Amino acid sequence: MSEFSRLVHIARTDFSYFFRTKWLMAILISLNISDMLVTGLVYKGLIAFDYFRFLVPGIVVMGLFSAATDTGRRIWLALREGVVQYYMTLPVRTSGLVAAYIISGGLGGIVYSGVLLIIAFVVVPPQGIMNAILLLPFLFILATGIAGLAAFFASISRVGEIYWTYAQALQVSMVTISTIFYPASTIAQYLPGPIVTMAENNPLSLAAGALRDSTFGGTALSTSVVFNLLIVSLPLAGIGALSYWIILRTIRIRGKP
Amino acid sequence: MNRVLTLASFNVSQIVAERAGLFLSWALFALQFGIFGSLMSHLVQSSKVQDYFFFYGVGLMVITVFDTGSFVGRRFVERAHEGELPYYLSLPISRRGFLESQAVYGIVATLLRAGPPLIGVLAFTGRLNLLGAFFALISLTTLGLGISGIMISFSFIAFKSIDIYNAIIAGLSALLVRFSTVFYPLMFIPSFYSPVAIFSPLTYGSDLTRWVLGFDPQLLLNPVLAAVVVTAIAVGTLSLSAGIVDKIIEGVKAA
Repeated sequence: MSEFSRLVHIARTDFSYFFRTKWLMAILISLNISDMLVTGLVYKGLIAFDYFRFLVPGIVVMGLFSAATDTGRRIWLALREGVVQYYMTLPVRTSGLVAAYIISGGLGGIVYSGVLLIIAFVVVPPQGIMNAILLLPFLFILATGIAGLAAFFASISRVGEIYWTYAQALQVSMVTISTIFYPASTIAQYLPGPIVTMAENNPLSLAAGALRDSTFGGTALSTSVVFNLLIVSLPLAGIGALSYWIILRTIRIRGKP
Repeated sequence: MNRVLTLASFNVSQIVAERAGLFLSWALFALQFGIFGSLMSHLVQSSKVQDYFFFYGVGLMVITVFDTGSFVGRRFVERAHEGELPYYLSLPISRRGFLESQAVYGIVATLLRAGPPLIGVLAFTGRLNLLGAFFALISLTTLGLGISGIMISFSFIAFKSIDIYNAIIAGLSALLVRFSTVFYPLMFIPSFYSPVAIFSPLTYGSDLTRWVLGFDPQLLLNPVLAAVVVTAIAVGTLSLSAGIVDKIIEGVKAA
């Protein structure tokens, strides 16, 4: 078995863990579907524009985010419960192990958000299904970036349940300072410049905007948006991979993180 | 009484020990209130909900209380499942005293997590008055006790499978929040959803807290009904929990 096939095997096993965790699936599905079909519909009656149509693509991106960050939970559990020592005995290099985790996080994100996207197509008729298919590889890169970020927080969580606090902080800050729930123009109108810049360059905003405009809005897929998505996602994947690699290397040398 | 307080203070000290987590939870509250609440209040038409910013702030506090209450309940069940309960029951304290210590812990945890955000929201929206804050805290802690009671009442599932228990609690929590008046008034919930919202305890807790804080009563449920339901849920689920500890949790083989 080559190094690459071992990497694929580990990624596939880790990917299957995500979909086998019943409670996690229950949280994600109930959160995302109820956000789409309850919150979206209620706010539609309170807001002057078609908020339901605006929110649904954002919820798809939120699903991608939640599924990809589960990589962090699995890494944190492996580090805390010592399962990582078993991983280190596998005939694969440390970098291969890191890559397998990041790829499985990306796969989890893309498969889960793909399911949400199909549900979204039922409730909001799409204008450009081809654009959605073209966006998928870029959404996969975004999911690996988020998985990398979650891996980073899992790697630096040493005490007790602090990982969950970090995970919550990551989710609240990234979702709140984005255009998932409100248009960029509203943010620009009421909040200071630095927050507007952060919200506009947030990868979740870029992905939600691309889905809204090209998949549900029918305009051509903007190359600049796709390029920006790559530019902000790849460094996140790199930072996460590097920090997890450092932790694994430290364990290999010292026997503990 | 001393033993009850000793056991409760031991549990509370574990929350206080994780100061970073406590401060971060307040900071996240401020972020959500300051950014999400502020932007959504500009999007929501004032002709439909006047002062949505304040409405949202109270909703966010109810979510904080809900999270704390469910954490207290789930922690109790998980500890029982992991076999720690027999140790606690072997302490020189009555069953009733043990449950009282858990209730005191739940109240203090709620006050710690929701108290500072409540003062912050009231000060920021210019509605700070001591009497209102006091009654809001009573309403929120009663709701928190009811939520903990619900989590413990479902504990019989945990002894079949902790995964299924977590799945049911997680799914139920998401639905209780969405199908309630936490973030939007009942009259704006579509008619096919509103009958479900009537069954959510959060609907009554949110509307009661808003009422004691002086929000427009036309958008809220009858405060007497809300107070009765919140109290009944707290008393009912805690009594049920006491029965469950006696008859189901004790003596069950740990995982």
